Amino acid sequence: MKTYFRATDPYPLEASDWNKLHGFYDALAAGRLVSTRCDGCGHVAWPPRGFCPECASDRYTWVDLPAEGRIHGFTVQHAGLPAGFTGARVFAIVKVDTHRIFSVIIDADPSTVSIGQRVTLAPIRVDDDPKGNARWLPAFRPA
Amino acid sequence: MRKVALVGAGVSKFGVRKATYRDLIWEAGKACFDSVPGVRPKDLDGLVVGSVMPERTAFQSHISSLAAEALGIRPSTLSARTEHMCASGTVGIRYAYAFIAAGLADLVMVLGVEKLNQPQGEEAILNMGTGVDREWEAAFGLTAPPCFALAAQRHMAEYGTTEQHFGLVGVKNHTHASKNPNAHFQKGATLDQVLGSRMIASPLRLFMCSPITDGAAAVIVASEERARALTDRPVWIRGTGQALDGFQLTSLHEDYAHWPALKRAGEAAYRMAGLEPKDVDVAEVHDCFAIAEIIAYEELGFCKKGEGGAFVEAGRSDYGGDVVVNPRGGLMGCGHPLGATGVAQAAEVWAQLRGEAGARQVPDAAVGVTHNNSGMGEHVVMIYGRE
Ligand SMILES: [Zn+2]
Repeated sequence: MKTYFRATDPYPLEASDWNKLHGFYDALAAGRLVSTRCDGCGHVAWPPRGFCPECASDRYTWVDLPAEGRIHGFTVQHAGLPAGFTGARVFAIVKVDTHRIFSVIIDADPSTVSIGQRVTLAPIRVDDDPKGNARWLPAFRPA
Repeated sequence: MRKVALVGAGVSKFGVRKATYRDLIWEAGKACFDSVPGVRPKDLDGLVVGSVMPERTAFQSHISSLAAEALGIRPSTLSARTEHMCASGTVGIRYAYAFIAAGLADLVMVLGVEKLNQPQGEEAILNMGTGVDREWEAAFGLTAPPCFALAAQRHMAEYGTTEQHFGLVGVKNHTHASKNPNAHFQKGATLDQVLGSRMIASPLRLFMCSPITDGAAAVIVASEERARALTDRPVWIRGTGQALDGFQLTSLHEDYAHWPALKRAGEAAYRMAGLEPKDVDVAEVHDCFAIAEIIAYEELGFCKKGEGGAFVEAGRSDYGGDVVVNPRGGLMGCGHPLGATGVAQAAEVWAQLRGEAGARQVPDAAVGVTHNNSGMGEHVVMIYGRE
């Protein structure tokens, strides 16, 4: 029997065949953090979005965000993680410019992570999608 | 609007159940029909089923029709499924309430059901990630514990709340659950056990968290005319409120120790009922994690903001205190079968206000509140009162 695994694949489909906002992932693969700026009112969103909640425009331009921020809050999960994820895992809210970005902190001893700590963008490559396209997520690591 | 009452309620055994999704529907349905002599399945004109993820856990959609057929209900006014993550059950009760109050239905069952446990335990946890944003949150492995851990940390930093306060919520609710034969956990817990249990997401330990649980619950909701014909002790729906701050974690109030949506939902329900927090005798609140119960005390007005830790420590949320919170054992003691939880909360308040809660009875309980949430930014509150 052929194995179908979308139902237990934890990652989004990022490629242009599936995702109108694939530009985010294209930039991330190149090491850049970008988001959408609304063409109607100039509102810069996080996360990127295809519809502006302020002015209801669906036109946007990709803009670069700083690839650096500070830890605004974090927790270390030791147990009870979903299939495919292992602890200890540092989940954090990272303040980048005025945006609050939810992410994970990698390459850090969890006991040394602290509020206010400077972190930089660290794109992580995760499992390819079912069509073999590379996939990336926007993680952060200590600066 | 017409007056609306609960006239019946029943709950399945909660736990890691050797049962199918349909078995659980039968169990809660049976218990609920047994509670209202004279009502047969075909007497109902509506059914609402709160259920979050049968597509993943039973590979099954089309849930309301499945449950109607399983129980022999023939909906003629209302048949629907509600999915609002952990608050699905209470959202379903609101639908039944609105239809009956508007005169569009007369006698409606609201059933909540979930079969969460799977042959491979990690898959059950993976499924819980469907409750947060797939692309921007769940893809990182996020489920509920880290979200509530962030709230717990803020509450500790801002108000001096301690791990011991969280532990006391765990002890209270596990102790209450020991008197509930339908609870997932019935052994109680000591403070040492709770504080010594393994760390899940700092600062929340295992016994400060609700488990992955299977279960179902059902209530029968009736118009005033039908309620008076069926029982001399109807439990009236007196107020309800629902409010949302946002879905993604980063859309909520920047300080996770504050849940403005819960405050708004509670205020709307109190206003509708013409009641105040001090009038509440018994409350079933959404203690998915110990911090949630502490914040619920505050946002529901049982104590001032920041005093939730002291409130539990002084015994004010236990028997003999200001308001008995989670007499059935809460989500921590009973377990949290998502769609079933809100309905099971209503079933407990129904029993309490009728004086039928046995060893868990809150003396002379006249006003009861249920609070059900789906994440920290989405809350539903119901207020019930006896005659
Ligand atoms: Zn705009």
